[in-house]
Amino acid sequence: MAAGGEEQREMLTQRLKAAVHYTVGCLCQEVEEDKDVQFSKQSIAAIAEITFRQCEIFAKDLEMFARHAKRTTVTTEDVKLLARRSNSLLKYITQKSEELASSNMEQKEKKKKKSSAAKGERSPGEEEAAVTENEDSNMA
Amino acid sequence: MEERGAGGFRKDTVDRLLRLNFRDGRTRVNADAQLLVAELLKVFVREAAARAARQAQAEDLKKVDTEQLEKVLPQLLLDF
Repeated sequence: MAAGGEEQREMLTQRLKAAVHYTVGCLCQEVEEDKDVQFSKQSIAAIAEITFRQCEIFAKDLEMFARHAKRTTVTTEDVKLLARRSNSLLKYITQKSEELASSNMEQKEKKKKKSSAAKGERSPGEEEAAVTENEDSNMA
Repeated sequence: MEERGAGGFRKDTVDRLLRLNFRDGRTRVNADAQLLVAELLKVFVREAAARAARQAQAEDLKKVDTEQLEKVLPQLLLDF
């Protein structure tokens, strides 16, 4: 049982690394066009590996920040705290978080209108599931 | 989903990446936080790439290799 779990974790790690590598490749391509340079395959792989390791730090910090606030769910507040070291980064992330919050408000209002019109055909949970299914098609 | 942009990280990927590293199995990430971490990771990658590109240009190179990345890595990690 424990060995099986280990193996599964290893497989998940490999898949996630591949997904990160793919996305890093796309992002580097954008930078290539922007700055008129080329990235070697090794440098892209290195950025992917750095990003994967950085995720470990991010995850542990986020968990600790949430725990510190006596929560088990990580929120945008924790993410903002993660971006505290650089001023411009913090500003950017704060702005993004406000955008998210305001778009959520709009959606909620739309939902309210919908559900009052047609007494909620789908529960919010079902809607969430539909969204994740859609996104799955992009998994590298 | 429009907010992912052309080449960003997927919300689901971010969630799994984080959950892989949580010590406590009960820890969850809410939807907004997932999107925000995706954004943060995108900035991280673009910063790494842009700084390495700048380093290569300072050395009059057209191609960025790991050597240039190594030079900008310490400051990058201090900033995140």
